[in-house]
Amino acid sequence: MTVHLENPDWGMVLPQLIVLVAAIVVSLLDAFLPKERHFTVITGVTLAGFGAAIVAQLSQRGETGTTFHGLFQLDGLTVFLNLVILVAAVLTVLISASYVEYLDSKMGTGEFYTLLTFAVFGAMLTASAGDMVMLYVGIELTSIATYILTAFAKRRTTALEGAFKYFLLGLFASAILLYGMSWIYGSTGSTGLNEISASLTAALTGSEPNAGMILGMLLVIVGFSFKLAAVPFHFWTPDAYDGAPTPVTGYMSVIPKAAAAVAMIRILVQGLESLADDWTMVLAVLAFVTMLFGNIVAISQTDVKRMLAYSSIAHTGYMIAGIAAFRLIDGMAGERSISSVLYYLIAYTFMNIGAFAIVVWVQHRGDGTTLGDFAGLASRSPLAALAMTVFLVSLMGIPPTIGFYAKYYVIVALLESNLLWLAMTIVMASAISAYFYLRVVAVMYFQEKSEDTTGRPIVASPLLNLGIGVMVVGVLALGLFSSPIINLANDWTNLFSVAALAMGR
Amino acid sequence: MDLTTNHFLFVSAALFVIGMMGVLTRRNILIVFMCVEMMVAAVGISLVAFSHETATINGQVFFLFALAVAAAESAVGLAIVVALSRQGRAPDVEEMQTLRN
Repeated sequence: MTVHLENPDWGMVLPQLIVLVAAIVVSLLDAFLPKERHFTVITGVTLAGFGAAIVAQLSQRGETGTTFHGLFQLDGLTVFLNLVILVAAVLTVLISASYVEYLDSKMGTGEFYTLLTFAVFGAMLTASAGDMVMLYVGIELTSIATYILTAFAKRRTTALEGAFKYFLLGLFASAILLYGMSWIYGSTGSTGLNEISASLTAALTGSEPNAGMILGMLLVIVGFSFKLAAVPFHFWTPDAYDGAPTPVTGYMSVIPKAAAAVAMIRILVQGLESLADDWTMVLAVLAFVTMLFGNIVAISQTDVKRMLAYSSIAHTGYMIAGIAAFRLIDGMAGERSISSVLYYLIAYTFMNIGAFAIVVWVQHRGDGTTLGDFAGLASRSPLAALAMTVFLVSLMGIPPTIGFYAKYYVIVALLESNLLWLAMTIVMASAISAYFYLRVVAVMYFQEKSEDTTGRPIVASPLLNLGIGVMVVGVLALGLFSSPIINLANDWTNLFSVAALAMGR
Repeated sequence: MDLTTNHFLFVSAALFVIGMMGVLTRRNILIVFMCVEMMVAAVGISLVAFSHETATINGQVFFLFALAVAAAESAVGLAIVVALSRQGRAPDVEEMQTLRN
C-alpha cells in the first residue's frame, strides 16, 4: 500500500504560523531575558506578532483553498474571523498591559502573554478548521489556555473558584461536544466538513434524517451552547467572569466566544446545512431564552463586572439569533444571516472589551467594581465616564454607534427569514437592557461617591489609554462606515465554492 | 452471539450516561474529574466502533487527539485543585459558594 502525502501549502497557514512562532518566542524570551527589560520586550514582541498576523491575514482576502488533507481551509469566514480574533487580541494586550506590568514583580509577564497567544492560536485554528478533529483541537486549545488565565491571580480565592467552575463545566461541555461529533461521524462516515455535507445531502434526498444525525446535531449544539454561555447552559459565566482578573474577563468574553461561534457556524452551516430546518428551530428557541434571561437577570446586579457578564450572555443570544436566521425558505438560505453574525462579532469585540477596559481603568485607581465605585466618575475623570457612556450606549444599541448597526443587520436577516417574533424579541430585550446600562451612566454622572478610594492604585500604562481611545473611535466610526466590513463579511459565502471544489475532486 | 456495532454503541452510551450522572450528583472534585474522563472514554468507544462500521480510519485518529486533549485538560484541572487545597479548601463542589448573587 502506498501512502500519498500532499505537500502542505505553507503560505495558506501563514497568519497562524506567525502567531504560533510568536507564542514560542515569547515563552523563550520569558526564560532568558534579563529582568529589567522583561515587560517592554515581551509586550512589544506579542504586539508585533499579532500585527504581522493581521497584515498576513489581510493579504489573503478573497483567496480560497484547503490544505493539510482538508484539515485546514481558507475562505471568507476564515479571513474575517481571524481578523476579529487578532484585533481582539491586540486590544486585550493593550488593556492588560498595566495589570501585567503590575504583576511582573510577583509572576511572569511571559506566562500571561504566552497563554494569551496560544489561546489566540487555538481560536484561529478553529476559524480555519475544515475537519471536526481540527475544530475540536482548536477550541480546546483556546479553552485550556483560558482556564489558566482565569486562575491567574491564584492567591485570590474568587479567582480559583471561578476558574474551577469554568474548567469543570468546560470539560463537561467538551465531552458532550465530542459525543455529538462522534455521532455525526458515525452517521456520515467522515470527519471532514465538506464530506459530511456531501454525504448528508446524498442521504437526505427523499428521506428523513435518522436518529443518529439528529442526536449528533443536538449534542453538538448543547456543547457549543456551554462554550458560548447560552441559557440554560450559562451557570459558569457570571462566576468565571467575576473571578478572573478584569483584563482577562474582557478577553474571555470575546475570543473564546468568537471561536465557539465560528465552530458552530462551521459545523452547522458548512457540515449540516441539509439539516438547517431542524437546527435553526433549536437555535431560535435558544436565542429567545438567552436574550430575555441575560437581560432580565442583569437588572438585579449591583456589581458592574457581574452586570457585564450577564450582558455578555444576552449578546450571545443576539448572535445565536443571527445564526438561526439561516433558515431555508424555498430551498434558499438566508445568506445575510451569517454576515450579520460576523458583523455583530466585530461590534461586540469593540464595545465589550471597551466596557471592560473602563472597569480595568477604575480598578487601577484603587476602586472596586460595584456601582458605588462608579459614582461620580464623571466629575473625577470626565473622559473615562464619557468613554464608558459610549460603550454602554453601543451595547444598548442606540445609533450612531456600532452596536445599533450590528443589531440592525441581525434584525434585517431575521425579517428576511420570516422570523418576526425573534426580531421583536431583540427589540424588546434591548429595551429591557436600557435600564441597567443607563443606570451605570446615571450613577456616573448624577451621584457622588460616598467614601474615599479604598485600595492601592496601580499606575495605568499609556497603552490602556491608547486602547480605550481606539475602541471609542472604533465604536463610533465603524458603525457609520460599516460597508467595507459588511462587504468583507459577505465573503463568507465563498465557503460554498470550496465545498463545490472538494466535491468535484 | 455475534458482536455488532450496536453492542459497542450501547456500552458507550451507558458509560456516557453513567459519567454524566456522576458529574451532576457527586460532590468530591476528584470523583467528578473521573466521571468526566469516563465520558471521554465512552466517546472513544463509540468513535472506534463507528470507525470499524464505516471502514474509515478518521474515528480512531480523532480519539487519539481527544485523548491527548483530555490529558492536557486534567493536568490543568489538577493544578487548579492543588492551588485550591493550598488555600485550605476541601475538595468539595459544595464549598464553591463564595461567588454568587
